[in-house]
Amino acid sequence: MHSLPFAFEGVVRLTKIGTVYLTFTVVIGFAALNTGNNALYIGLTFMLGCLLLSGIASKGGLKHLEIELRGIDEAWAGRPVAATLRIRNRSRIWSVRDVVVLSDEMARAAVVPLVPKRTTVEIPAEFLFERRGLVSLRRADFYTRYPFGFFLKKRRVGLVGEVVVFPRLRSEPDGAVRFRPVAGDEAPSNRPGPGDEVHSFRDYVRGDSLRRVHWKKSASLGRWITKQTEMDAARAVHVAVDPWKPRGTPAEAFEEMISAAATFVHDAVRRGLDVVLELPRVTLRARESQSANALFRALALIEPVHEPVEMLPGRDTVVFSLRSGDAGQTA
Amino acid sequence: MQDRRREIESVLVTGFAAAPLYLTMAVGFVPLLLFHGALTLVVLRIHRDGTSRLLPPAVMKGLAILALPFYFVDAVAISRGAFAASTHLILFIAVYQATESMTAPNRGQRLLTTFLLFIGSIATSTHMSVVLFVVAFAFLLFRELMHISHMETAAAVGREYSEAPSSRTAGFYLAGTAILGALLFPVLPRVRDPWVQGVTGALQSATTGLSDTINFNEERVTPDDTTIVARVWMGREAVPFFTPLRLRGAVYDRFGPNVWRQTYRGLRFVEPRRGKFRIAEPVGFARGARIQQRLVKGGRLLLPAGTYSVHGVPDLREGPAGAYSISRPPRNLINFEVSMSLNVRPLEGERVRLSNYPVTPAVAAMARSIAGSSTSAVSQAARVESYLARNFQYVRNAQDVGTIMTVDDFLLRQRRGHCEYFAAGMVALMTALGHPARIVGGFYGGRLNPLTGYFVLRREDAHAWVEVWDGGKWVTFDPTPTTLRPGIAPGNIVGLYASAISDWVNFFWDRYVLTFGLADQVTLAAEAITRARELMASGRRSLAAVRRMLASPEFLATLGFLLAAGTAAVVAARRRENAFRLLARHLSSIGVEVGPSMTMEEALRIVREKQPAAARELEPLVALYEAESFSARRDRTRLVQIRRRLAEIARTTL
Repeated sequence: MHSLPFAFEGVVRLTKIGTVYLTFTVVIGFAALNTGNNALYIGLTFMLGCLLLSGIASKGGLKHLEIELRGIDEAWAGRPVAATLRIRNRSRIWSVRDVVVLSDEMARAAVVPLVPKRTTVEIPAEFLFERRGLVSLRRADFYTRYPFGFFLKKRRVGLVGEVVVFPRLRSEPDGAVRFRPVAGDEAPSNRPGPGDEVHSFRDYVRGDSLRRVHWKKSASLGRWITKQTEMDAARAVHVAVDPWKPRGTPAEAFEEMISAAATFVHDAVRRGLDVVLELPRVTLRARESQSANALFRALALIEPVHEPVEMLPGRDTVVFSLRSGDAGQTA
Repeated sequence: MQDRRREIESVLVTGFAAAPLYLTMAVGFVPLLLFHGALTLVVLRIHRDGTSRLLPPAVMKGLAILALPFYFVDAVAISRGAFAASTHLILFIAVYQATESMTAPNRGQRLLTTFLLFIGSIATSTHMSVVLFVVAFAFLLFRELMHISHMETAAAVGREYSEAPSSRTAGFYLAGTAILGALLFPVLPRVRDPWVQGVTGALQSATTGLSDTINFNEERVTPDDTTIVARVWMGREAVPFFTPLRLRGAVYDRFGPNVWRQTYRGLRFVEPRRGKFRIAEPVGFARGARIQQRLVKGGRLLLPAGTYSVHGVPDLREGPAGAYSISRPPRNLINFEVSMSLNVRPLEGERVRLSNYPVTPAVAAMARSIAGSSTSAVSQAARVESYLARNFQYVRNAQDVGTIMTVDDFLLRQRRGHCEYFAAGMVALMTALGHPARIVGGFYGGRLNPLTGYFVLRREDAHAWVEVWDGGKWVTFDPTPTTLRPGIAPGNIVGLYASAISDWVNFFWDRYVLTFGLADQVTLAAEAITRARELMASGRRSLAAVRRMLASPEFLATLGFLLAAGTAAVVAARRRENAFRLLARHLSSIGVEVGPSMTMEEALRIVREKQPAAARELEPLVALYEAESFSARRDRTRLVQIRRRLAEIARTTL
């Protein structure tokens, strides 16, 4: 929780102004009771009415507020992410002002200047997730001093939403060193895939691009023939992540390893390289920045396993593992 | 600029909080004028220069240090009172804080000082306009509080955002507060003086037009003041007997050098019996009355002539001359009840003395000539009363007499004067005739307020008359000419009604605000309980009546008829359904919805795909429907067949 000066546990707290006001109300009450001066009773009833109304208004206003999170497409651990909070006031009577919204995942408090009755407002908010993974947003707290500042009222509301938080990216610029041997490898990959060189021909199937139709062969064979390109190995980076966490290894080490892998993939994608991510039982490919989110999503959700996993990485594969001997990543 | 505007508003709220002090006169004009003058300068400085400083900080600090010793000097030697001295100190603090407002964040402290001034203002005010002040102050205060609340939230989150709410919102909350306040006012506990006794009492400045003495050595003044002194309620049957009203307030029975005084020595408390204070023995027709009275110095009660019992006062003191007062009067007004009769006799033998007026031979001769052959005190008094009323000139306003004269001068030479001279003259003549007599000061007349049904006596109705001892009781005589007495002069109808309305508003304020007390709360609670019981009883009666009605044969017959008619209508409606609707309803029951643009063939095709068996059953029926729909000759038997077959299918499905 990114606490504010007034964040507190419970539902209501008396403010300094409220304490002064309450003290004066008691003093006037005492004076009225003792003197029987009904002019003082008038003042007292106004003050009590104001106090009562303040409580009713702030409670009535907060009670009918609903919150909804919108607009988080991707979030990285440790990096603030912009989102939109949609706040709806269902009250037929009370408009609410000066509402501060706070939740465990928010980078800073969001302020709602005014939510008129029976309206919905959207406000920008900044979230900050500390760890990768699937984060379920559970709650947010509304705070308000409105209307008179006597009480600081809090109401906890459900904040429905799930965010896949990508791993934390390391800041050290070691990508250039890592990528040198990979980028310099110009050997043919000898398998079909995205690239410029023709690898082979095959029959046209529905869905193939017409640009890839080999018109000459199609004309000679009497059926549509399409050409397959050879995967451009020089632009592809193979990354393998071994999820085995040997016993006794701290969880932080595993997270560091995932962060390193994510940083590597991120750098590669940023350099315009294709990335093939090999995980146990699944291989994901991101061509340039397209579908890179799937890779980060996979890295966000990968959980450590406690038994060694069989992995057969290729010669050029960059392996991220905690196995002894090759602790850390190899490149 | 926004900040300046806010600061100016804040300073103005502080100034406004002290505004009623001019009217309540709780503190002197000079400190108030200095206070408001200083605040005005602060406002001008903020507006023009953006700073609130009036004097160098060192000078202000020096003044602040001097303020505390000055407070004690003020309390002891200048104001001679803690309240005024404290208010002076608060006024100084308010100015000091205002001069610091732009340099030090002291909004909360200023609010506190403003509250203190507000309390001082309302605590010393009993006039109706205090409500307007409270409402206006609450409005300004709400604006201020909302602004402070907004600023604190902005400071807590560390950034500025849109402007705080203002007048419209403050107005909304003011309305809500006023409603809640009005609901709370009658139910807040009222137990006066539970801890400290004698803090308050009758307002020293309250007047009723009654003076402690009748001093003929100085020019007398008849008050031309419409301030209400008392309101009197009585039953319609009592009105002919007890009006015009005479409210006795003071009895002047001792004569000094041209001054009539009241005797205070020998004041005694009347013992209550079952909450009632019995002060005399009734003689003749008797009725009750309720009185609301503005109190005067000494807690003097205004009792109607003929009062023999008083109820609803905390205690009752009887003076030796027959004037009554209470020892612990409430602040301003009191409500009580009296029992009155046409005549009253003292409860026990009363020691009655002849007045000490020095009768001169000329006055004695005049008295004898007026009395003539009559011998009894009452008949002689009646002759004197009549003589004075016929032969002496009444001057309504005492100041119009134009000269200071003795009673002898009035009787023997001037022969003109106001009611006090007439009363004093009659007492002198009765003394000359050897009969005890005394002057009674009070209020006479009373105008009926048609809106509220009570009689109103105002300060301008102050009057003096005479009581003569007839050997067994005091008998009232009034030598002032009847048509010239106060409270008699008729007014125009519009004026009377305007006065009645104004008085009604005043009465509401006096009765339900100023004098609303514990007894009223008990009455209110009792009434609420009674109403609730009546409501419940009425509810039970209504419920019983409804039950009886539901069980009655007529109701059951009507209900049966309506049910039968309804069933028949439904059956008839079903019978009127065409074949398409019948089939569509059946298809819907087996899960195939027939849309508005579908044909029955299309629906059947869907049924064939989903439920072939059902489709086989429906095929002949669809054929019948098509024959019915598209053949040139209509045949109702087809519809009957469809209905019958569908019913069979429904039965077998069940």
